[in-house]
Amino acid sequence: MDILFSSLAAGILFGMALSLVALGLTIIFGVMDIINFAHGEFLMIGMYTGLLTAQAAGIDPLLTLPVAAAVGFLLGIVCYLGFIKFLLRGPMIAQLLGTFGLMLFLRNLALLIFGPNDRAVHQGLLVGKSFDIGLGIIIPATKLAAAGLALAAFAAVWLLMNRTRTGKALTATALNPQGARYMGIPTERMNALAWGIGCASVTVAGALIVNFWSVNPYIGLLFTMLAFAIVALGGFGSVPGAFFAGIVVGLITELPGFWDFMTYTFEFDWMLDVPMISFKYMWVYVAYFVIMVVRPRGLFGWKH
Amino acid sequence: MPLLDVRNLTKDFGGLRANDAISFALDKDELLGVIGPNGAGKTTLFNCIAGLHPVTAGQIIFDDEDITRLPAYEVARRGLARTFQVYVASGDLCVLENVMVGAFMRTRERAQARRRAEDILERLNLRELAGAMLSELPVAAQKRVTMATALGTSPKMLLLDEVAAGLNPGEIEEVLAIIRSVHRDMGITVMLIEHVMELVMNISDRVIVLDYGRKIADGHPRQIADDPKVIKAYLGERYVREHSGEVT
Amino acid sequence: MEALKNAFDFSDFPRSDLIIAILVGAAFLIFPLFPHSAFAIATMIQFFIFSLYGMGWNTIGGYGGQVDLGKAQYVGIGAYTTAVMLIRWDIPFWFSMPIGVLFSVSWSFIIGYPLFRLKGHYFAIATIATSLVLKDLFEVWDFVGAARGLEISPIKYAPPDFLRLIFREDVYYYYVIFAFFLLGILYMNWFRKSRLGFQLRAIKDNESVAQSLGINVHWAKIKTYAIATAFVSVVGSFHACYIKNIEPEDTMSLNLSILIALMAMLGGAGSLWGPIIGAGVLIPLKSYLKEWLGASAGLVGIDLIIYAAIIMVISAAEPRGIWGLVEKIRRRRSR
Repeated sequence: MDILFSSLAAGILFGMALSLVALGLTIIFGVMDIINFAHGEFLMIGMYTGLLTAQAAGIDPLLTLPVAAAVGFLLGIVCYLGFIKFLLRGPMIAQLLGTFGLMLFLRNLALLIFGPNDRAVHQGLLVGKSFDIGLGIIIPATKLAAAGLALAAFAAVWLLMNRTRTGKALTATALNPQGARYMGIPTERMNALAWGIGCASVTVAGALIVNFWSVNPYIGLLFTMLAFAIVALGGFGSVPGAFFAGIVVGLITELPGFWDFMTYTFEFDWMLDVPMISFKYMWVYVAYFVIMVVRPRGLFGWKH
Repeated sequence: MPLLDVRNLTKDFGGLRANDAISFALDKDELLGVIGPNGAGKTTLFNCIAGLHPVTAGQIIFDDEDITRLPAYEVARRGLARTFQVYVASGDLCVLENVMVGAFMRTRERAQARRRAEDILERLNLRELAGAMLSELPVAAQKRVTMATALGTSPKMLLLDEVAAGLNPGEIEEVLAIIRSVHRDMGITVMLIEHVMELVMNISDRVIVLDYGRKIADGHPRQIADDPKVIKAYLGERYVREHSGEVT
Repeated sequence: MEALKNAFDFSDFPRSDLIIAILVGAAFLIFPLFPHSAFAIATMIQFFIFSLYGMGWNTIGGYGGQVDLGKAQYVGIGAYTTAVMLIRWDIPFWFSMPIGVLFSVSWSFIIGYPLFRLKGHYFAIATIATSLVLKDLFEVWDFVGAARGLEISPIKYAPPDFLRLIFREDVYYYYVIFAFFLLGILYMNWFRKSRLGFQLRAIKDNESVAQSLGINVHWAKIKTYAIATAFVSVVGSFHACYIKNIEPEDTMSLNLSILIALMAMLGGAGSLWGPIIGAGVLIPLKSYLKEWLGASAGLVGIDLIIYAAIIMVISAAEPRGIWGLVEKIRRRRSR
């Protein structure tokens, strides 16, 4: 039983951090229909930013979030104005090709600067601490804090999108770029803003995740794929969809835990032979594929 | 035996009824015009007949066969070809190649497809444009190319979707001549949609009028032009009231 | 007969292009006869391999406009079929290669059927997902060596073994893959003019219009996907015999899938010479940048940074690839 609850808790907490990773992707996709292969690389940059700022300034990694957000925001805007803007004029395959180039560029730049080794946060207020909340659930403090702050960041972005003039202009650009332009909305600036917000939310997610996940230059791709899966499950461009789909994907990554639970609870010996832990992320892809084919609008298909 | 027999065709989009129990039949040697104001359901009717939209209710019989549930490519293979109103061609097929795609429906042989395509281009006065890209052509030529492409499939019947929209009077004359030649010389049954009323009146043997998804009139062009229901649909309630007052 | 004539008919290209093609082909033919480094010939073999991958991708991705980012799974199926059959049952390449194609094509039909109900971005990401699932399965499947992969040990055989395609000198591999390369070009030259080729280009243009011209769009895509798959699988089988050491990470990774698509896109998707030009630029660039900057100068990653920057510039400035640029210049000149 313990293992069941622990897996549930771990899945939900990790899922909340993941939904923040996917949030940026879904905002960018919603506003301008582009798939960004470099998304995971922005997460990696956020992770390094969190880690290095904490080390340099001697503060807790959780306090570096504003720095990560600022770095991400600037990076997003620079990427948009310097590169993505030109890609949008071309066909879809140019966008895939171009953002793949961006991914390769950022990844290898990180490799050149930071080297290939894993780096992790070793000290901090919460590192190594955990709460035992009964029922055998032990929650690492870093994960809990990450989930909580992810939730807060999510709420902030949601408020920005739905309660401010700028957010409404963004939504208008997403729904009908041409119409928005006729209404006097500077769509070009809105696109840049979407990249800024999108990248800031993913770098913040990176600074949170680095507290319990070590970083190396190759980390990006895994998270890009997870974020694609979340965005697809939640419905492309849907902000609330991304949140719930993030939790679903978080739970899917905990399938090995559920598998162990079934194995021990019902004593199915054959289940022991399946190396479930190796399939940790495979189920995410399987879920993506099946849901795309069966329900192309996403699991929660409530876009517009 | 009519070539095309549409019975109680109904099409809903969500809560919106785009076609409401439309029935009509079309003989082999007829040239039928479909008119109606914008949003009357003309293009929806076409798409339903051509198998692009699944119909909500009703039946479509073509050449003694029920084609109601057939996908678009099966409908095309049975000899019912169509053109498209807005043709967005981003690709890299030139005019000749476009027509060859149509011709490839009836043959696997490249040489044969090419001969057929060249023959059609000749008939539609497009020969000198054979090597041009569709996107480089003026609208009038584009419209002719879409007709040529549809004719490439050697159809029994051709559905023309607003082939005269956006053309100047001279170009419209040219298109009319082509439609007549397709109908008379090639022996192809033609059904055309147009919201320019004069054009349809000029060329059609028979006209049906749609308004708000319903068929409100069906008959000879001259009859249609005098039908108060049709005038009302086109010009509005008030116009009819004022002018009928004048007559009496 | 007609098909064969079409395959050899290049008459729609300008004569200057054909002269260049023949000269380059002749240079490829005699290249190994001149003194060369082992590195140069290995790079050439990689060039042929990736040209063929790119040609395969070009059928569905270039002519059909369906951005497929999962081709590596078929490299894997081909490579593993050949390696497993050779190691376990001593079945030579020329028998295992068609069997590999059979496996690949069967798998492509199974996943192609649902896959092609998706369009655009959704399709592209779904192809990645299927490829990654297969890779994850191979990484734990003991029969194929799991994550360690398989190794063909050449000592057991007596090179040059033409039946098993086990050689000690690269020059043999060079001519074998060169022959495949020529066959690939002839096939592609036939394909682009065939009925299916025309149908695909119409589908890329506009699917509704294609339907109305009697084309079963879904089925045409699945068929072409199978053709692309067969191409990739054959070369995957060759790859197993040539490299002799295959792992899921090398043969089935997303990087490989994307690299395959990149060849065709960079050279010019939807053109006969595109994938070849793309591979001709990218493969030597990649190998030599790595050799000069990466390995010898000790700057890890800088080769790939330059490589990535080139990809970015081309995708932003000329999305139709190098061949698109050539055609643009030509059209401007003819005016």
